[in-house]
Amino acid sequence: MAVARSALHEGAGPTGVFTRHDIHGDTVIDCDVVIVGSGAGGSPIAAELAEAGFDVVVVEEGPYYQTRDFTADTSAMVRQLYRDGGATIAIGNPPIMFQEGRAVGGSTVINGGMSWRTPDDILDRWRKEAGLDVDGKSLDPYFSRVEKRIHVAPNDPEAIGNENLLLKRGADKMGWKYVSNLRNQVHCIGSNRCAFGCPTGAKQSALVSYIPRALHYGARVYADVKVDRMTFHGKRATGVLGRVVNTESGKSHRVVVRAQLVVAACGAIHTPALLARSGLSSRSGRLGKNLGLHPNIKIIALFDEDVTSWKGVHQAFQVREFVEQGLGCFAAVNLPPSVTAMSLPHKGRALGEIMDRYNNMVVAGLLVEDTTSGNVKIINGRPQAFYQLADRDIVTMQKGLVLLSEMMFAAGAKKILLPFHHASEMLSADDTRRFFSKPIPASSWELFTVHMMGTCAMGSDRTTSVTDEFGFMHDVDRLLISDASVFPTPCRVNPMETIMTLATRSAGYVIDNAGRLFS
Amino acid sequence: MSYQHPESSRRVLISLVPVICPPEAATLAEAIVDHMALTIGQMPPLLLKALAAGFTTYDLGALPRFRKRAHKLSPEQAERYYESWVHGPTPVHRQFGQMLNQIMSMSCYEQPEMMARVGYHVAPWIEEVKKKRLTVFADDIKKQEASILAPDPLRPGLTKAKKEVA
Repeated sequence: MAVARSALHEGAGPTGVFTRHDIHGDTVIDCDVVIVGSGAGGSPIAAELAEAGFDVVVVEEGPYYQTRDFTADTSAMVRQLYRDGGATIAIGNPPIMFQEGRAVGGSTVINGGMSWRTPDDILDRWRKEAGLDVDGKSLDPYFSRVEKRIHVAPNDPEAIGNENLLLKRGADKMGWKYVSNLRNQVHCIGSNRCAFGCPTGAKQSALVSYIPRALHYGARVYADVKVDRMTFHGKRATGVLGRVVNTESGKSHRVVVRAQLVVAACGAIHTPALLARSGLSSRSGRLGKNLGLHPNIKIIALFDEDVTSWKGVHQAFQVREFVEQGLGCFAAVNLPPSVTAMSLPHKGRALGEIMDRYNNMVVAGLLVEDTTSGNVKIINGRPQAFYQLADRDIVTMQKGLVLLSEMMFAAGAKKILLPFHHASEMLSADDTRRFFSKPIPASSWELFTVHMMGTCAMGSDRTTSVTDEFGFMHDVDRLLISDASVFPTPCRVNPMETIMTLATRSAGYVIDNAGRLFS
Repeated sequence: MSYQHPESSRRVLISLVPVICPPEAATLAEAIVDHMALTIGQMPPLLLKALAAGFTTYDLGALPRFRKRAHKLSPEQAERYYESWVHGPTPVHRQFGQMLNQIMSMSCYEQPEMMARVGYHVAPWIEEVKKKRLTVFADDIKKQEASILAPDPLRPGLTKAKKEVA
C-alpha cells in the first residue's frame, strides 16, 4: 500500500487535490470524516467540518476541473462534466432523461445556479408527514449561512437577456405573478454557459466556493476515485473502498479510506446504490424508493424580433402563477444550437429552416411538482432509475403547456413548436388549446429533469424512513447521508439551496455531538 | 477505450444523414457520424446495448419491405423507412427513431459550419464578457474570493481539539 504524494501536478490543481495523476499504487488514507461526493450535499459538510478542525477527505468519482477548463465546446463539456454524457434515463413510459454532474463540485458545476429556500408549506409537509423538526425559522440561520457562502443575489439587470425579457413581457401581459431569480453568482455577466461549466467564474458553484474553503482549512479532495462500497465494523461505518485508474500507467489501484464518520453525498440516484452495494437495507423498505423527479418539458417559441438568447444570464425570472395547480414554475433558458436541434421533432430541410431562425427562438419550459414516485434498483452494480409518470401529472403538463403557450403568444411569439413528433406548429393560442383538447399518449412525451430527490427519505419514524432528521441512517452507526435523497417529498423549487442548508445543519449536529461520534 | 461505431452501424448512420440533417450538412456526413460516436460512447452500458440491438434491427428490418438492408436504401426509400419507425407500431420503434434524430441533430449542429450558419458565435462572446467582468467588477470579485476563505466557524469555539493527520 502506498500513500498518495502531494497533489501539485504541473499546476493542475491546488494543494490538497489529488487526481488520477497522483495515485500510483494501492492507497490507504486515514481521516476523521470521509465524504463520498463533492457537490451540494458533500462540499458544505467538508468545509464546515474542516474549519472546525476535523481531518476531512472528500472522494469524488468525477475529475477535477477549474474555471479555465470550461470552454465554448458544448459537447466536450457535456462529455467531461455529465454522467453518461447527459443521457441517463429513468425507465418508464415515457422514459425521462436526467442529468447529473460528474466532477468535483458535482451538479453545482452544471446547474443554473437558482438558489431558493425551501418553501414554508413544503417544510410544513415534511414536519407533518415525516415528523421533522424543521420550519423556516429554525432553518433561517443555515439558509443565511449558505446564501452568504455561495453569494446568493439577484441578477445584475443589464445582464438579463432578451429571452428572459420576453418571458417577463408575456407574464406581464397575462397579469401573472413571477419572481426575479436569485442565483449564486457574483456579477454574472451573461455568458449563458451555466450548464457547461461557468467560464467566467461568476457562478459560485461548490467548485469555486465550498471546495476551496474546505481545502483552505485542510481538507483533502481525491478526484477520479470511484467508490465501490462502504466498510463496516458491526453496525458502524468505518470507511469506503474505491478504485482509481492512473492516467500514465493505465493501471487500476485500490483506494481505502478509513474514517470515524462516513458521509454519502452522491445524489438521489447513486447514494441508494452505494448503500445497497454495501449490503445495507432499511427496515422501512424505502431505500431507493420514493424517487421524485420534477419532470420538465419545454417548447420553442419563434419571434420575428432578434432574441440571440445566448447573450444573457441563464434564467432571470420564474413565473409562479400556477404553483397551487402543481406547476412549479415557467422559465426561459438558452440552449446551444446542438441541444436545441435535438429537442426538435423536425428533420431534414424542415430542421434546417427552423434552425436558421435560431436567433429568433425562446426556449421556455415548465416544471411539474410530481405526485407519484419511482425507484432506483441496482442492475449489474449500477443504479437504474424507474419512474412511471402519473396520469394526473400528464394532465397537469397538458394544462401547463397550454398556459405557457398562451403566455409566449402574448409576448409576441409568431409560432410555437411543441415537443411532439406528431404536433404541427402552433400559430396561435387557440391552436395549442385545440391540440391539447385530446389526451396526449404517455409515449409521446419527451421529458427531462435535473432534480432527483427522495430515495433515502428522512423521518422521525425508522419504520417509514431511511434516515433520521439530521440525515443519519437509521440502524447504522456513523453513516450520514447528505444530498437530495433525504428529501421526504419533492421540494418544488430548485433543490440546491435546500441540499446545502440541510448539509450545513447536519455539519452543526456533527460538531455538537463530536464527543459521541468520534469517541 | 473510446467507443467506435461498428461498421454496420456506421453505414446505417451515414445513410441517415441526408434524411435527418438539413441539406447544407450533406458534406459533413463523416464528421457528424464521428461526432455521434463521442456522444454514444458516454452513454450508460444498458443504453449502449439497446442502441446496438436497435441498429441491427433497424438495418435488417428494411429487408421484408425493400429487399435491401437499410444502409443500402435510396434516399427516398431511406426517408420512408425512417418515417415508418418514427411513427412506428410500438413505443420502442418510435423511441429508437426519435433517439436517432436527437443524437444526429445534435452532432450536426455541433459542427462549426452549422453553428456559424445559425449565427452562434459563443466563443468570442465568452471572451468578451469574461474580460469585461474582470475589469468592471474587480473589487467585488476580490471581496467574494476573500470571503470564501475568511474564518467563520459554524459553531464558534467548538472545534475538534486534536487534528489527526493521515
